[in-house]
Amino acid sequence: MIAKVKVANLREKSQAELTQTLDTYKRELMDLKVQQVAGAAAAKSSKIRDVRRNVARVLTVLTQQARSDVRGQYAGKKYIPKDLRAKKTRALRRALTKNELSRKTLRQQKKEDNFPIREFAIKA
Amino acid sequence: MSPQKASTKAQTARKAALKGTQGQKVKKIRTTSAFRLPKTLRLARKPKYERKAAPRFATLDQYSVLKQPLNTETAMKKIEDDNTLVFLVDVRANKRHIKDAVKKLYDVDAAKINTLIRPDGIKKAYIRLPADVDALDVANKIGFI
Repeated sequence: MIAKVKVANLREKSQAELTQTLDTYKRELMDLKVQQVAGAAAAKSSKIRDVRRNVARVLTVLTQQARSDVRGQYAGKKYIPKDLRAKKTRALRRALTKNELSRKTLRQQKKEDNFPIREFAIKA
Repeated sequence: MSPQKASTKAQTARKAALKGTQGQKVKKIRTTSAFRLPKTLRLARKPKYERKAAPRFATLDQYSVLKQPLNTETAMKKIEDDNTLVFLVDVRANKRHIKDAVKKLYDVDAAKINTLIRPDGIKKAYIRLPADVDALDVANKIGFI
């Protein structure tokens, strides 16, 4: 019976082991497809679905591992690969940063320091 | 004035008269009338970051190439009479891909491969096997007889 592979188990494996698992699942998929052509029982269609999803899980874990490795490599560096940067939107990426927005001239800073907005209240 | 000083003075005066005192511009001698692109410094690339974080795994691997074997009446005839297997194949695969895939997956060499694209858009491959291999055996081994 084709079981759903546990992603927790997959995450413990190394890249080489994962590619091997991927191979076995793809083989299984191929065999199932051949059996389907040869006219097998209807149970095959659910099996095929499970195996396809297993292949997807292994590939997901593989890419996640690869990308996290690359992130580790570039940690602390100034320029990182563009597909690891925040996506947001094109306009937001080009907008001023919070720091840049908050900058004031010395003149303005002095004005605000010396003449802050006062709040008054009337005693009831 | 000493005689040497007098003569050098005369010589500098002669030079100044003939060539001027400012120094001359060096003009490059051109031997053709065409101005060809000069060779400039070309630096090799040294990127500060990879554009793509992780390279993409191969999408058309041997498992994607062969989709399913055909076991229609005509296909069965081909297996028995012509020693060929008939497969449905990915449209992006070429004969070299198919040959490689068959070799890797079923351990069989292909003598020659003919392909066509069916009217519904799926590629069909006729994979002729060499005479020393029996297509019927291979089909049984694959499991679709």
